[in-house]
Amino acid sequence: MSILEKLNAVKDTVPHYWPIGAFIHHNPLKGFEHINFKEALDEAQSIFGGQVYMKPDYYISLFDEGKIKAEHLEKNLLKPLKEFGFDAFTKEAKEFMLDISPKWDSFRSYEELKINDIDDTLHTYLEENSIFMDKEAWIQSLTKNLTLYEIHDALFATSDKELIEKDVIEYIARFLDDNQTTLSMADRDLGMFNTFKLYENIDHDGDSESYVQKVLEKLKVKDIEKYFLTHILKLHGWAGFIKYRSEDDTYYAQQDHPSTLMDYMAIRLHFEQKYIAKEKINNFDILYSYIDTHKEYTILKLLQSKGKLTGIYNDAMEDTQDYKEILGAYVKDEINLDSLQIQLAKKSLPSLNLSLIEFSNFVNLLKKEEGFLWLKSLEDTYIIEHVNAFTSPQSYDKKPLSSTIFCLDVRSETMRRKLEESGPYETYGAGGFLGIPISFVEFDKAHQLNLAPAVIKPENIVFEIPVEAHEEYNAKQGINKTYKKVLSDLKNNPYTPYIMVEAIGWIFGIKLFGKTFFPEKTNALFNKMKPKKPKTTYTLDKLTNMEIEAYVKKLHINIINEVLITLSDAALSDPQIELLWEHLALDKELNVKISSILVEKLKYAYHINPQDYELQKEKLAHVGFTHDEQVMYVENLLNMIGLVNNFSKFVIISGHGSLSDNNPFESALDCGACGGSISLPNARALCMIANKKEIRQKLKDKGIDIPSDVKFIPAMHVTTTDEITFYDTDILDKEELEIFSTMEKDFKKASFKAREERAIDLPNTNEQKDLFIKTMDWSEPRPEWGLAGNMGVFAGPRDSCRHIAFRNRLFLHSYDSSIDNKNADLLTRIFDGPLVVGEWINLEHYFSTVDNKVYGAGSKVYHNVVSKIGVYNGNYSDLKIGLPTQSVITEGEAYHEPVRLLTYMEAPLETVGKAVENSIAKDFILNEWIRPIIIDKEAKKVYSYEYGEFIVIKELE
Amino acid sequence: MLINFILLFLFAGVPYYIYFEKTKKLKREQIFFLSTFLLLFGIILDSIFPQEISMPFVIVAFMSSLFTLYQANKTTNLYKLAYYVLFFNAPILIMFKPEQSVLYALSLLLTLFGLYLIAKYYERSYGSANYQSVSGITLMTPYAGLFLTTYLTALALYPPFPNSILFLHGILATDMNAILYFIIVVIFFGNFLIAARVMAKTVFGKPNDNIHYIDLTSKEKRLHLALVIVLLMLSIVGLKEVLA
Repeated sequence: MSILEKLNAVKDTVPHYWPIGAFIHHNPLKGFEHINFKEALDEAQSIFGGQVYMKPDYYISLFDEGKIKAEHLEKNLLKPLKEFGFDAFTKEAKEFMLDISPKWDSFRSYEELKINDIDDTLHTYLEENSIFMDKEAWIQSLTKNLTLYEIHDALFATSDKELIEKDVIEYIARFLDDNQTTLSMADRDLGMFNTFKLYENIDHDGDSESYVQKVLEKLKVKDIEKYFLTHILKLHGWAGFIKYRSEDDTYYAQQDHPSTLMDYMAIRLHFEQKYIAKEKINNFDILYSYIDTHKEYTILKLLQSKGKLTGIYNDAMEDTQDYKEILGAYVKDEINLDSLQIQLAKKSLPSLNLSLIEFSNFVNLLKKEEGFLWLKSLEDTYIIEHVNAFTSPQSYDKKPLSSTIFCLDVRSETMRRKLEESGPYETYGAGGFLGIPISFVEFDKAHQLNLAPAVIKPENIVFEIPVEAHEEYNAKQGINKTYKKVLSDLKNNPYTPYIMVEAIGWIFGIKLFGKTFFPEKTNALFNKMKPKKPKTTYTLDKLTNMEIEAYVKKLHINIINEVLITLSDAALSDPQIELLWEHLALDKELNVKISSILVEKLKYAYHINPQDYELQKEKLAHVGFTHDEQVMYVENLLNMIGLVNNFSKFVIISGHGSLSDNNPFESALDCGACGGSISLPNARALCMIANKKEIRQKLKDKGIDIPSDVKFIPAMHVTTTDEITFYDTDILDKEELEIFSTMEKDFKKASFKAREERAIDLPNTNEQKDLFIKTMDWSEPRPEWGLAGNMGVFAGPRDSCRHIAFRNRLFLHSYDSSIDNKNADLLTRIFDGPLVVGEWINLEHYFSTVDNKVYGAGSKVYHNVVSKIGVYNGNYSDLKIGLPTQSVITEGEAYHEPVRLLTYMEAPLETVGKAVENSIAKDFILNEWIRPIIIDKEAKKVYSYEYGEFIVIKELE
Repeated sequence: MLINFILLFLFAGVPYYIYFEKTKKLKREQIFFLSTFLLLFGIILDSIFPQEISMPFVIVAFMSSLFTLYQANKTTNLYKLAYYVLFFNAPILIMFKPEQSVLYALSLLLTLFGLYLIAKYYERSYGSANYQSVSGITLMTPYAGLFLTTYLTALALYPPFPNSILFLHGILATDMNAILYFIIVVIFFGNFLIAARVMAKTVFGKPNDNIHYIDLTSKEKRLHLALVIVLLMLSIVGLKEVLA
């Protein structure tokens, strides 16, 4: 196995980490999805440490609230108890989980040890089975996932780790910088490792892989694969980001200054070698021989560094050199405490007829299983409750005035419900990005935004272009841009802030004061200063070859003109310029008198050459959609949600986005399926396409007959305030506008009611106004609850769930299995897009809640934006993955209820089976990273997929 | 000469704690009380028989002080730390005139008594006064964190606590020479270093997941609050002295 293969074998332990500007929710244990959920969590815990389930107290309070039903807990308990022959003690097991487990740690008390006798048999049994008796195994377990410098620090009280990690972070943060600084690192185009060689003056001819090999040999690393993993885990946020960019060729920063995980490893190992070389113990061979002769000292120091040594042993370490005696006392005390814990627990269960040794095994089993048992019982309770609600018959008026298709998100649930209650309106939920992946270039912006899930690379580029005069806008925008650029340069330059603070610092004071004390008025003032964006449309149709050629030619000729004016005195006529262009771009003979230096400059400095001509043509070929593609996207959307006939007068397609101030995590609140951007462009594009006569004709040929008076109107749902804004309403005539404005009023009423409901759950929100202030308050760490609370997805007809108030906790995807084909293509599409994104969102919230330190980003209060790619704590730390505490926790208590995605599908079992088989989500579905529940109304059965099989959980009447 | 020698011993200018630590004849907290008692006795003696500064004794105390600084930077036990700080400050007490010496000693003893109470609380809550594994207390036990921060800030000679003000007062009232200046600088930074080192490992740092943190009881809180008030009152006295 080569060095690279060894690195590749372990790199998936850390997930991709996308730049924060396009925050993508992700499963932090993505690399474990090939294993069953429960086993994967055990493995992850052994690697990352931390918690993978909530603590027993949390579940017990849910049990007390009735959110976990006793019958589910008992049923789930039976499985492990049966497996280990304890099935006769279900009642006691339940009692243990409810009453004794929360007190479990308190039984391990030194005070209690003084007044209780320890049972000798139990003590001997525990001693024989403990790791303490095998010192080598103990050392191995204590040094697991520790680098050489960490072990050295622990043994000899050095602080190499701090220096090494600081150096690593400083270098990579500067190299990976995405225009946060005005003084960028030079020579980044050479690549991460080659630039590093220049900076650290490393005399090495080969690439990063050969350098890594060299350092590993110097450090005498035995198990290279394991050591790579150890190093990756040290700063797994940074490693995850480097991994992401190295695997995404289209990421522009990666194209400009490439980096690989091997480069990162070379940097880490270089610093390790640099610092450790100064120490006496500077490779693993010397370390192991030292450990061999100082086993007791090593164990004690490692325990001390991990904070596992209590004060009395720390005192003893300070006072005496007899480490053997100290370790002996420690082991004795530990086993005594373990015995005491079991004895006291047994005392609390007097009815249990088991010996102390049997009881010890019984308790160990329960402690090992309890997290999963509680989790599953909580999920099962919800599942039964939901299934009962989904299967209770309901019927609704079938002739609504409008059908609103919401871009899928839990936050649209309340709004949809309130909207349906407010009048003759029906709603649909369609997979985020609305099934139309586009690379969008906003008017007045130069970069492309990929509005599609991170796993999909859009093939079609859509430009937003103005349809009305915009000179005033351009002028104002120009001033704003210059102002921002000057301020940013002054702020980020290392020298200017000294003068700037004195000279113009007070200007910022106005904004600071205003935003703090008068957020509404300040916001209104700054909004007034913003230029009004002109009306725009999108470039949706493909360009013909002739058009493409003409555009590229025009672009080139403009550049030539510009160059001739600024760099040369040569005056060429238009035909001559054309001839010059033909020479440059088409390699034709040059029939114009012009300096050869200028021609060379145009070719190489300004890239007017045949290669660029072809490249530009290829790029332009991606602009817009073919007619067939346009038809396909509308057809797919309508089929996917089951809206193929009985069209309402208005079909509203609503994207969504969020509003907040001073929030690096803002994109986490936008559309996750649109790469962390708002999904309005997708909605507008689809509406524009669906309103075209020729498209409707083609749709009619495919069996979807949309009457000509039906209008598709795009809208935007602001999730922070639940306001809905409509776009492109100028296509409506006077009569339609009148009906539309009545409908708009109902939408406003629905928004009001949705806000009312949502405000109850949001801290510091007493009235509706507070919700709006949160969007402009720069000190607000929680502008909305976002996706916190998400717990499931329902794919089926809206009528089955319209009557249930989910309080923004379920993704409601409209789906009609009766129009799906035999191959279950529609459901497969739902699995491949919305379900994948839903699982990422769900598990990101799950893990950020169960252990925010390990899987989350910690408190926002300590965050600083680094290199414009993420946040870290203070001056340097790991790149913070996951969600901040403010997104999932309130006042120290979990707001988000961590459960796996409860995935309800109203479809025949066979259809679901086909979709699972064909889907890219197959791995995580079958490995139970979600909880699949199938409501098969044809077979009149409800199935749950658990422990590898479909179990009937309800028979329908 | 004899009285100077006695004062050197009573003001903790001789590291007699080594004997008790080695023989274990006294517990750590007993060593603290013994040195406190001797210091108080020394102050009284010094007030009755005022002495001129004796440079050889100051230098002997300073040597002992440097050794104690080394010891203080090795220990993670709060009881030990309390008497090490006392011994470390011995040269100052010998250098200063009796009036200044009394005030500085008083503020030092009060602060160290606060530290002693925190050590007692550690012993009760975590089995020992050793803070090695008990980091991040500001987050986990905010009251204990607050009071420990206060005592350590005072020991680090930060205003407005009396130690810093009375330290300054002592300097202003003493006839200084190059050696004394040097000693003053070392003691000043030494106090800061000792306190900063403890702060980094106790009030700051990551909380230890292996420990069940327990905060101060309401009785302890009241006691600490009273102590802090007394310290602040002493600050006012010190400030008046400095301004006078």
